[in-house]
Amino acid sequence: MSWLLRRNMLPLHSNSLARRPLASPPPLLPAPLPSPRETHLWYVVPDQLKDASLLNQYMDLLSPCERQSVLRMNGERLQKGALLARALVRTTLARYTDCRVSPKSFKFRKNRFGKPEVEWNKYDLWAPPPLQFNISHTSTMIACGVALDLPIGVDIEEKQRKTRNNILSLARRYFSPVEVAYLRTLADLESQRHEFIRLWTLKEAYVKALGRGFSGAPFKDFTIRLEASNSKQVTGESKSDASRIVVEAVDHPGILMNRWHFALFELNNSHYAAVCMERDVKDPADRENNSLKLEVWRTLPFVEDECVTETAAVKNIIR
Amino acid sequence: MASISGTAIATFARPQFAARAQVVKGFSGLKSVSFSIQRNGFPSVRLQPAPRRFQVSCAAKPETVQKVCEIVKKQLALSDDTPVTGESKFSALGADSLDTVEIVMGLEEAFEISVEEESAQSITTVQDAADLIEKLVEAKSS
Repeated sequence: MSWLLRRNMLPLHSNSLARRPLASPPPLLPAPLPSPRETHLWYVVPDQLKDASLLNQYMDLLSPCERQSVLRMNGERLQKGALLARALVRTTLARYTDCRVSPKSFKFRKNRFGKPEVEWNKYDLWAPPPLQFNISHTSTMIACGVALDLPIGVDIEEKQRKTRNNILSLARRYFSPVEVAYLRTLADLESQRHEFIRLWTLKEAYVKALGRGFSGAPFKDFTIRLEASNSKQVTGESKSDASRIVVEAVDHPGILMNRWHFALFELNNSHYAAVCMERDVKDPADRENNSLKLEVWRTLPFVEDECVTETAAVKNIIR
Repeated sequence: MASISGTAIATFARPQFAARAQVVKGFSGLKSVSFSIQRNGFPSVRLQPAPRRFQVSCAAKPETVQKVCEIVKKQLALSDDTPVTGESKFSALGADSLDTVEIVMGLEEAFEISVEEESAQSITTVQDAADLIEKLVEAKSS
């Protein structure tokens, strides 16, 4: 069931410096922290943003460096997308801080491979939650995934995305032999294209979760596929076949890299989305057969939030 | 444009990278790499430029730059009046990771070269791509 929430009357820390006298943005709906093995995904659809003053509010949240980067994008559409991406990350993360950190206050740094992460200030009486996040965008949607403590990767692609190159040529160039073989079993070109896109999002999500950059885990060196699961389904979810998404190194086939779990689904009827999250290997409850949990919100920050987890906006989930 | 001598189309080189075995086990010992080509991530985080692996003594010829611009514009479906020059950054033009690999494939085809993963990572602008192409073409014909 979905519920619509407009802004409610929660206090928000005001920012000490504003570039121009803007009213404080309305408060954000706070969110409870993700539980173990759970990913929260927040997405925004740029076309839903019609109000130019909202763009100003978003711009006001950004650091000077981020603003410059937005303005360096080539053309208004790309600038709007870049702006929304930053606004989405900042507002999403702020929701998990119990109103203690405003979207504008967040600082970011990159790990040594270039993956962005939160740089928390020091707080005397509060331990900031160890939020892990990752974003992905297309021209028609931007998504931000959040998890607690464990690395996460998110990738989205438009279902209708066409490639300039032939699908099998792309696959032979960039995918593993097992994946190419799988694509070749698909007789019609449309199925091939759809499966290519879905595999692409899974592989991207994995590499982004690893956080080592494209060359840290070249696409050609690992296979993502479905593996028949021999464990009983504990939850009440129905799955046509009890299979799960697994990843293995091309050089070590059959040795599954169990520390990663995945979810692949359709989002908003327009996109394929893949999430990859590291398992907590120290947690005895995080066994192989416990799949990744997912909560999804559609948002227009400061305007509207809608939880779409159990709706038609999130469907055909494979984990 | 330098004439491309040699008969065979270069076979795709295996991507080179340091500790391959670590893909399975863990992250220790991996050299630091940076990704200059944007994923569908967010474009406003400035990534560290990768160390220059290729020392080019002079910039690529204008015709090469022009050809790269054409391939990029086609891949990203940019209108004719969208300005794309040597200085244009792929990320600023809205290229995501799939666009980037398609652009690399387009360049490989157009110039009959083979681009390794690591070299592809060091390309951030059209000029970078053109310089790399000329280097690879030159290496092929020598």
